[in-house]
Amino acid sequence: MSPAWSARRRRPVRGGTSTVRRIGVVLIVLWSVIPIYWALKMSFQTEGDARAIPAQFFPIRPTLQNYARLLGSGSDVSGGIRQSTINIVIECALATIITILLATIAAYAFSRLHFKGKNIFFYAVLATMAFPPYTTLIPLYRIMSGFGLVNTYTGIVLVYVSGFLPLATWIMHNYFQSLPDGIEEAGLVDGARRLQVLWHLLLPLARPGIISTALITFLFAWGQFLFPLVLSSDLSTQPLTVVIAALQGRHDVPSTLMSAAGVLAIIIPALIALIFNRYIVNGLLTGSTR
Amino acid sequence: MTFSRGVESSSQAVGQPGAAPSGGVTTVVVRRGRRRFEVLPYALVAPVMIFIIALALVPAVFTIVESFFTVNPLDPPTRFSGLANFVHIAHDKAVISSIGNTAFYMVVGVLLSTAMALAIAVVLQRPFRGRSLVIAVLILPWALPGVVEGILWTGIFDPNAGLINSLLTTLHLGGTGVLLGQSRLLTITLIELVQVWQITPLSVLLILATLQLIPDELYEAAEIDGCSPWRSFLAITFPLARPGIAVCMVQAVIATINIFDQPYILNGAADTGASLTMQTYFISFQNLDFGQGYALSLLITAVTLVISLGVVRAIYRKVEL
Repeated sequence: MSPAWSARRRRPVRGGTSTVRRIGVVLIVLWSVIPIYWALKMSFQTEGDARAIPAQFFPIRPTLQNYARLLGSGSDVSGGIRQSTINIVIECALATIITILLATIAAYAFSRLHFKGKNIFFYAVLATMAFPPYTTLIPLYRIMSGFGLVNTYTGIVLVYVSGFLPLATWIMHNYFQSLPDGIEEAGLVDGARRLQVLWHLLLPLARPGIISTALITFLFAWGQFLFPLVLSSDLSTQPLTVVIAALQGRHDVPSTLMSAAGVLAIIIPALIALIFNRYIVNGLLTGSTR
Repeated sequence: MTFSRGVESSSQAVGQPGAAPSGGVTTVVVRRGRRRFEVLPYALVAPVMIFIIALALVPAVFTIVESFFTVNPLDPPTRFSGLANFVHIAHDKAVISSIGNTAFYMVVGVLLSTAMALAIAVVLQRPFRGRSLVIAVLILPWALPGVVEGILWTGIFDPNAGLINSLLTTLHLGGTGVLLGQSRLLTITLIELVQVWQITPLSVLLILATLQLIPDELYEAAEIDGCSPWRSFLAITFPLARPGIAVCMVQAVIATINIFDQPYILNGAADTGASLTMQTYFISFQNLDFGQGYALSLLITAVTLVISLGVVRAIYRKVEL
């Protein structure tokens, strides 16, 4: 599925790229990248250079001292940064894998099989998408604490998966529905079982949808803050977002160091967004057609 | 698993009256014409349903029921207390002030992000070289964690090292002084600007998708009739983009009423910017008064749903092209 606007080429109606449009495009790009550029710039400066007057709009004397303090061995903050990076990668990866697996098989059943009660089940899944994100924050905390799962990977991943499943199921459902009807019949005539049809015929066709859904789920998981803030109480499970936010309040942490920490936390999501933007845009649009 | 029609038709043949119960001979198995009960679909949806029921629907019921109970580990046992939680939060000064803040976040955020998204979508409406690259850069803010965006923008607003201050001093317009935490209006506007940065990209995509469906002929006809670009925006683009605008406003309403990361990072617990979700967090996880936390999150949910529905009714129009 290619985005609607690249599928259909149109001839330009009014004078192609007008000056107004060019200015608009420049403003869009500036608006999107300036905060990132400024943090990147500050992260390569000393606090003194960052505050210098006249102001420096480029790192004139670039330094790696902020990154050294964040990552180097034996510094006051590097232990937390390292462990929380491991945590966030594990939590995001597990949540994404489980979400994709469960959402795909359920979406297959919802979109291509017939069974009693299907609509009720499906609406129940979709209805939870209407909840604002933090409606269930307190009860989820109390349930997890009741099962002794606070401050465990299991607890955090379970909550993430429950939060991401509805959207993932919905995107995959729409994706499966967009595949032609004849596929299963062809497979079933050959005597294949339904699961074999799913595995050998539908999954390869649905691969772009699966990639989109996986990327979106991963980015959502990476961006979580309030849920892990509540569900993890120490460094054994706290993700990078929580640990970095805690640095913000410390008086011995200068603004250039915070910028470097911010840059570290956005490298992976920014690369994913830039490299795979086509998949992400398609996935978001598949998920929003109602 | 029902296989093909062949099986069913033969089962009907076997199931003819008279051929059915035949004494003690058990060689003939009577099959009913009905489809067999299939286990597979239920097995496939079961994991998702278990997750949804256990970790979304049950917690939602919890929230509704326990908002009428005193639930506080420091004040056991859990007991029914009627509307006490709601009465209490209605008299809580911090909650009342955060209602004002949140309303302001919502109004600023929804209007600003929708207006900007519409403008950006119009700029991107027609294909040009490098458009997919612009879209790739555009969705960048959507993909980043809200907390970290708060940190990035701290660098913009910083009274010393910040970009705004640097620009002002370079242009000899004086410095900014402290931007956040002084005036409530300015603080909330700047914090909401950070959230607008995050939520606008998705709004652009939603509106852009509807703009792509508008046929060029409409614009050509408008131009022949002597319509200015602004006139054809009002007469063609805006009305036909309404479904996309409605969806993008709803996602903005949900995001802004539930704002947490940006004010938490940029302004801490200060009254000048604390949102309702932040109060829910403080009440539940610092005061450990879960009952009041339930009541507050129930109210937030109800308000979010009511306003979302209102927006849909006001903005959404079915478009047929």
